[in-house]
Amino acid sequence: MVHLLQRHFSHCFTRPASIILLLLSLILPQLSSASVPQKHEGFPQGVSTINPGSELWREVRQRDLAVTGISQVKGVETGVLINSWGDQWARFRIENPVKYAPMVLGAVFLVLVLFYVMRGKVGIEGGLSGRMVKRFTDYERIVHWTLAIVFLFLAITGLILLLGRPLLIPLFGKEFFSLLASASKEGHNLFGPIFLVSLLMMLFSFVRRNIYEKGDLTWLLKGGGFIGDGHVSGGFFNMGEKTWYWIVILIGLAISISGLILVSPNFGQGRVVMEISHVVHVFGAIILTAVSIGHMFMGSIGTEGSLEGMKSGYVDINWVEAHHDRWAKECHENEQVISAEEYARLQGNKPDTAMEKGA
Amino acid sequence: MSERLEKGLNVLRAEMDHKVKSFFSSCVHCGVCAESCLFYTETHDPRYTPIYKTEPLRKLWKKEYSFWGKLSSKLGISKPMTEADLADWEELVYDGCSMCGRCSMVCPVGVDISMVIFKVKHALAVAGFSPEGLVGATKRALEIGSPMGITMTTVRAMIKHVEEDTGLSVPMDVEGAEYMALLSSNEIALYPEYLEALVKIFDHAGVSWTLSSDAFEATNSGLQIGNKAIAGQLVQRVVDGAEKLKVKTVISPECGHAYTALRWEGPNFIGKAYPFRVVHILELLDELQSQGRIQTTGKETERLTFHDPCSIVRRGGIQAQPRNLLGPIAENFVEMADHGSMNWCCGGGGGVSSNERAEDLKLTAFNRKKSQIEETGAESVVTACSNCRMVMEEGLETNEMDIPMLGLTELIAEHLVEKRTD
Amino acid sequence: MIEYLIDGPLWYFSLAVFCIGVLWQLASIVFARSKTDLSVARGSATGGAWRNVFSRFVPHHEIAPQIRVQVVAGYMFHLGLFALLFFAAPHILFLEENLLGFGWTPMPHWAFIVASQFAFLGLIILWLRRMLNSVSRLISTLDDHIAAILTFIVMLTGCLALLKGFTELRLLHRFTVELLLIYFPFSCLMHTFTFIPSRAFSGAWFGRRGIDA
Repeated sequence: MVHLLQRHFSHCFTRPASIILLLLSLILPQLSSASVPQKHEGFPQGVSTINPGSELWREVRQRDLAVTGISQVKGVETGVLINSWGDQWARFRIENPVKYAPMVLGAVFLVLVLFYVMRGKVGIEGGLSGRMVKRFTDYERIVHWTLAIVFLFLAITGLILLLGRPLLIPLFGKEFFSLLASASKEGHNLFGPIFLVSLLMMLFSFVRRNIYEKGDLTWLLKGGGFIGDGHVSGGFFNMGEKTWYWIVILIGLAISISGLILVSPNFGQGRVVMEISHVVHVFGAIILTAVSIGHMFMGSIGTEGSLEGMKSGYVDINWVEAHHDRWAKECHENEQVISAEEYARLQGNKPDTAMEKGA
Repeated sequence: MSERLEKGLNVLRAEMDHKVKSFFSSCVHCGVCAESCLFYTETHDPRYTPIYKTEPLRKLWKKEYSFWGKLSSKLGISKPMTEADLADWEELVYDGCSMCGRCSMVCPVGVDISMVIFKVKHALAVAGFSPEGLVGATKRALEIGSPMGITMTTVRAMIKHVEEDTGLSVPMDVEGAEYMALLSSNEIALYPEYLEALVKIFDHAGVSWTLSSDAFEATNSGLQIGNKAIAGQLVQRVVDGAEKLKVKTVISPECGHAYTALRWEGPNFIGKAYPFRVVHILELLDELQSQGRIQTTGKETERLTFHDPCSIVRRGGIQAQPRNLLGPIAENFVEMADHGSMNWCCGGGGGVSSNERAEDLKLTAFNRKKSQIEETGAESVVTACSNCRMVMEEGLETNEMDIPMLGLTELIAEHLVEKRTD
Repeated sequence: MIEYLIDGPLWYFSLAVFCIGVLWQLASIVFARSKTDLSVARGSATGGAWRNVFSRFVPHHEIAPQIRVQVVAGYMFHLGLFALLFFAAPHILFLEENLLGFGWTPMPHWAFIVASQFAFLGLIILWLRRMLNSVSRLISTLDDHIAAILTFIVMLTGCLALLKGFTELRLLHRFTVELLLIYFPFSCLMHTFTFIPSRAFSGAWFGRRGIDA
């Protein structure tokens, strides 16, 4: 008990306070054992008395009312000796984010596995044509993958920190986990601001095409093509993509700001601010991680022809017709569709060699 | 190993000097050079990335001079170089590179990429992987004396016309003259006004000069094809002609690569310094103007811009002189946005214009020059290289742009004050 | 045992390979065959060399807009790495205790973190660009990728060991540093040193010809 107190308040220890606590630590164990009658064989029965320190203890524990004392250390909440909310916070954390995170993430995985097994890859009518259209510039792809890599690193280190105790300690043991947790914490804290910068880069480079427009509601009502005949109209970005974008930006900003509050406790944040930040941070992270798993799936094995757009920047015109017909119309009007040979040339593929041509 | 491959590799090994070693160990494949090369920017074909054109030499460096290459060879797991390593690069080096040197200006680690490409060209030329057009031109240069097959007969006919038109005589084989002027076959064939301009200006400025019947040709097909031995042979003809006439200075005409071949690379090709000075015609005209020996009158009123020939300005160091000369005779001169040593190539240098196979690519590359000209709103373009002039005229015509190309020397001659009597 | 190896023999070995390797590579450049230029110089080769060594730090304005990503990310990475390598407290202490015998004033801890963040973001952007841009993809070699990834791993293990409470993490960082030191002289990382002679050689060439480079 005393050790818990010491850990919580080590930053506000002053000599008088420590002397008092030292005295308490000497007195209390004896008092507490004296208050409970012990039945030991061969020993005379104890006498039941009211713990004389319980009044003092109740006040110190602030069970009935909050009492802020005076401490020589000046700072936020340094006058609070014992705060029992800490215990409730720990319990809240274990019973909520720590419990629900694996459930939510596990559920997402399961849904995707079932989706893939039952429906298979979302294909393209007529297959891939080989004729391509430029969808994303170099810079846009760099921004996307930078954000993705940084996010994945933060997600993994964040999950290690969140789920370490229930999941990883039983697996790796306490010593290895403490090493892993320390490494994860340092990595997580350093890469956090990098995520914010990458997020802002993504905000500015993609915002223009992610504004909701006419036709997006129809897309939603048709379930993105899953409800009805499978055909649904879409612009450059369909409503699903736009919504994912705004989830990334808004929840990402929430995670970033709460993260910055958490990582720099030197600006007068009290316990309440930190706890709220923690809740926003961890629930935001769980939501973002869950949806990102869906995004990673749909952008790769879930849909034929999607990944190419983020790799080379080009997508097959048939893919465009299938998923973004309004943009396809623009591409045809602006003569942006290139042949397979032209696409190969732009990727730096060697044409027939001079030797093959018979030079 | 085939004989061709062996010859080529031996040239590459001979070209492996301190610069090549430094350059290849510095290059981090950043791709900045691509953005400076008009063959890349106008086609977006990554294979035209300048440093990629040096692959044959880089492969040899890696294989025979780097740690991993030498280790792989010792372990017997190194891939041997094949003829394809040379042959596949012919198109990139000859068609897709005009030796303009713009890449050398921008490399963050300071690689002179153009110089390294020339070393690869040397190997390809010796191994026999060169375009037909250039092989033919080189043969004619060696056997006839001009890549276009022009003989002294043609030159004398041109001189006759010039003398008739100007009323002045063209000195030929005058021993002890101060200057020996050279001509490029292009000028003789397409722009005889250049010689006319020379005659007028030298008469006006009182310059002691001569042509040489043994050495009238300035162009160097050896340089264009990349064969240093042949380049040296062609330079030696000029040196012999100049020594025979005991001239103090040889004038390189309005031809880009001729200046490079004669002024800068020539002594290295022949292995000894010249007993005479070499100047570009623009250098001489600028000298004469600053001495007050050239007096002009009147100004061009139309909007003019200047195309900087790569071999003269960016690789030759003659940047201020054309501007000094245009200043007094152009009222409405506007620089291209990218001008001087960072101007863009016309697309036809380095032998590209003599390479019929490269015609389409050259015209595509010209789109860069086209946009530059359109941006200035110029009504005429002045330049000081007959090859650039010819290439740009062709490009402008293909794009249906009615913009005349003017030679700088001719422009000066048109504005000369009447002959001074003193 | 591992601690002994990483802090002892492997450290000395990697340091030796690095020092001897770098000197050897530089010597092979400086003492390689070079022909004298027989043409008459118009300007100063030495002046041109010095000028080029420094002028190449700033890209020509004619091309700057096209190479923004390389320049910005490139400087973020290089300046961030330089700052954290030579001005971060743990590194200064390491150099003082193991190599130089003297130290200097480190930058504040927050500056160390910010420098590393710049370095990480710059390196990630540069490596991704290398993979995603068609030009860099074509011309990049295995060496380029190994150098980038190895450098990233060194930086990452350093970041993971920031708390300094775990010997294993410190050893992991030191071990990756030793791998990098061994790899360095035989890789494109040599550009750290060879960019100077390269810029000087081409600068001398420009200077001789009186070119406004």
